[in-house]
Amino acid sequence: MTNATILKVEGVSKRFGGVQAVSDVSLTLQHGEIVGLIGANGAGKTSFFNLISGMHYPDAGSVAFAGGDITRLDPASRARRGIGRTFQVVRPFTGMTVAENVMVPLLVNDSSVRRARLRAMELLDELSIADLAKKPAEGLTLAQRKRVEVARALATGPKLLLLDEVLAGLNSREVIDVLPFIKKVRDRGVSILMIEHLVSAVMEVSDRMMVLDRGSVLVHGLPADVVSDPRVIAAYLGEED
Amino acid sequence: MKKKSLIWTLGLVAAAGLVPVFTSDQYILHVCVMILIYVGVTVAWNILAFGGILSLGHAAFFGIGSYTVAILYVKMDVNPWLGILAAMVTAALGSLLLAVPLLRLRGPFFALATLAFAESLRLIAIYAVPLTNGSVGITTPPTQGFALISFSSREPYYYIVLAMALIAIGISIWIYYSKMGYHLRASASDDEAVRALGVRTPRLKLAALVISAALTGAFGAFAAMYLFVIDPETNFSTPLYSIQPALNGIIGGMGTVAGPIVGAIVMTPLGEWLRTTFSGTTQGLNFVIYGVALIIIVRVMPGGIVSGMKKLYRRFRPENRSDGTAPDASGPIQPEQELANSEGGRS
Amino acid sequence: MNLLVQTLVAGLLLGGVYALIAVGLNLIFGVVKIINFAHGELVMIAMYATFWMWTAWSLSPYISIFIITPLMFGFGVLLQRFILQPMQNSSPTIKIFVTLGLSVLLQNLALVLFGGQYRSTTFPWAEQNFSVLGVTATYGRITAFLVAIALVIALFYLMKKTLTGKVLRALAEDRETAGLIGIPVKKYYLVAMGLGTAMAAIAGVLIGPFQSVFPLAGAHFTLLAFVVVVLGGLGNMAGSLIGGLFLGAVETLAGTYIDPALQQVAVFAVFIIVLLVRPQGIFGGSARNAEVGLK
Repeated sequence: MTNATILKVEGVSKRFGGVQAVSDVSLTLQHGEIVGLIGANGAGKTSFFNLISGMHYPDAGSVAFAGGDITRLDPASRARRGIGRTFQVVRPFTGMTVAENVMVPLLVNDSSVRRARLRAMELLDELSIADLAKKPAEGLTLAQRKRVEVARALATGPKLLLLDEVLAGLNSREVIDVLPFIKKVRDRGVSILMIEHLVSAVMEVSDRMMVLDRGSVLVHGLPADVVSDPRVIAAYLGEED
Repeated sequence: MKKKSLIWTLGLVAAAGLVPVFTSDQYILHVCVMILIYVGVTVAWNILAFGGILSLGHAAFFGIGSYTVAILYVKMDVNPWLGILAAMVTAALGSLLLAVPLLRLRGPFFALATLAFAESLRLIAIYAVPLTNGSVGITTPPTQGFALISFSSREPYYYIVLAMALIAIGISIWIYYSKMGYHLRASASDDEAVRALGVRTPRLKLAALVISAALTGAFGAFAAMYLFVIDPETNFSTPLYSIQPALNGIIGGMGTVAGPIVGAIVMTPLGEWLRTTFSGTTQGLNFVIYGVALIIIVRVMPGGIVSGMKKLYRRFRPENRSDGTAPDASGPIQPEQELANSEGGRS
Repeated sequence: MNLLVQTLVAGLLLGGVYALIAVGLNLIFGVVKIINFAHGELVMIAMYATFWMWTAWSLSPYISIFIITPLMFGFGVLLQRFILQPMQNSSPTIKIFVTLGLSVLLQNLALVLFGGQYRSTTFPWAEQNFSVLGVTATYGRITAFLVAIALVIALFYLMKKTLTGKVLRALAEDRETAGLIGIPVKKYYLVAMGLGTAMAAIAGVLIGPFQSVFPLAGAHFTLLAFVVVVLGGLGNMAGSLIGGLFLGAVETLAGTYIDPALQQVAVFAVFIIVLLVRPQGIFGGSARNAEVGLK
């Protein structure tokens, strides 16, 4: 493991009941790299995410992060070490405002509510959604919720950000807005692993891409090579969703 | 807290402090003492509700508190003021027995576990005769004095329990607006998402449980001194101290700061009235009415009185909608969100 | 040694009835997604019905069961239709409080109507002893066990093989999809609630001849059934069966060797211990345990 390696997943597998959700998947992420993860529905992308973020533990294989083994660490400890994530189905904290949503992670390492409020406002300002700060989280549009979800994940101060379909459900204009933002996050030194269905969009921001199919790695390489691979084309045309 | 609500709060506290000045009717004062006991227990219960956790077993902590002060005072001659402190400790320790269900069981299943826990303690209190005198119960000695929390009139009791209730409310407000409150409220909305942000929810929930239990224990201890007869059927009573606080909280507004206070103030006199009006005629009839009322009230006002009033207020004062006040500050926690997340979305 | 065997047998016989009650709760929770806090009161109602039919009309429990069961099926359907269904989309807390209110209501209605005293259905045949290999049990308890087990197995078969069962299982797995493919969801909720209530009622009739009924008799069954469902696994009929037998044994052993007053405490203690050492319940890994909170 070199200094520049932030995440090293080795041969992880996970079974749920009769379904082999993830099967012997390995992936290494370098500091400041964006990797796109694609695959049909049920290919095991989110399950793979859950193994990295600690929602589930792998049956086999190991996960190392920033030089330490985290295979059996709980999600909260992983978040504290620097793994931030968003959820496929966005999960804003209801009954709280947008600013308060962002304050929740900020209050993990700092008990001052006043300081957390100030930093939340700064962060929302940076992401150009300061106008939402006082709105209740449940009243937002999907695009707004996705941004709040990313803001909340960023507020943990992550070294690695796992983005689960942050583009899904957005219209093409909104997608065009979000892509430079993802690059901006990377430029702040955050490595990104992102699940997307929208292949063209992932291609544009990713340094590398990995395709999962029925839990296993189908192809892994440079975006241009991946999307022209006949197996990927077959898998995508075969299982249109 | 904003200036306006501060003025309101001070006004209410002053009014509460003046009650014995305006009336010396001992029955009214008794009802007021009971209201304040319920305010305390409901506020304590509600600390768990901040985190979306529904307890139906607070009679356990109430009873532990009552028995601690009584046993220490009657059998070991420990001063009851110290006894109240000891009651907080024993109730907190007792609550640790619920740690496993708290961290392992979801919503309704945890609620049932707490119910079973309180029932178990009631049975143990009946069984452990050498310690508790069994079903007969313990009676505290009639010796009076401030040091012994025993008086011939109700006024001193009223002021003591008022002070205790204010402390409990203060603690509840402090928790709500602190780091712990933010994390609990977030956890009520989505436990998994809040863990993914680095919050150690098991520790958080345990802390809420222990604080909630300790406060409840203190009120149980006070009630023991006030009612001076401590027996398993009363002090570990599921309807009186498990269901009633939960009901107060839900009627007032579960997980809000003001909700449990409003709920206890509204529901306690109602319960007293039902009991005195109907219990003489036919045993159980008051609870039949109670059961029906329970079903109807929670259906009509699912968010509780506080959020219902807010909705009304907002409807008639539309200009207030965009003044930047977050409706969250006492908006109801929505546990359906949690269940919705638990039912699906784990691909 | 003989006492131990005797106690265990008594526990397992009783446990069969617990399994039947738990299977009903399991079905209701699995399909309708409501934790019915009044489930034990359904047992209690059936016990009173058994008592009164025997006292007033000299109807043996083994005859009145054919009257009480369909009536209680109907009662369950009515409960679902008029109390539970209107709050299908309410928050879980509201659902809990409505069924809790129902439980308080039924308990106290029984108190108002029948008074607080213990009432026993003294049916002579049920009290006769049957001995084999030095172990003795009454006909009443043996019958209760055999009928309960037969019904649990019958329900198991119904859920696995019949169309109704398959639909119910589909509903338990995924309500939305089931609705989308045209299953009349509400109608099957009525069926599930009716079946679950009927199971509780049959259990109530079966224990009538050897357990006294009083207004609070049902509360204990609610807690027992819930512990069985958590330990045995949600939607797991075999789990409920074994869990029921297990708790019957625990309870009876505690009654014999510790104190009858502490039976319920023993059940709760065992429950906590099992959660501690086998956090995933007795059978573990059930895909739907997450709904309970166990993973």
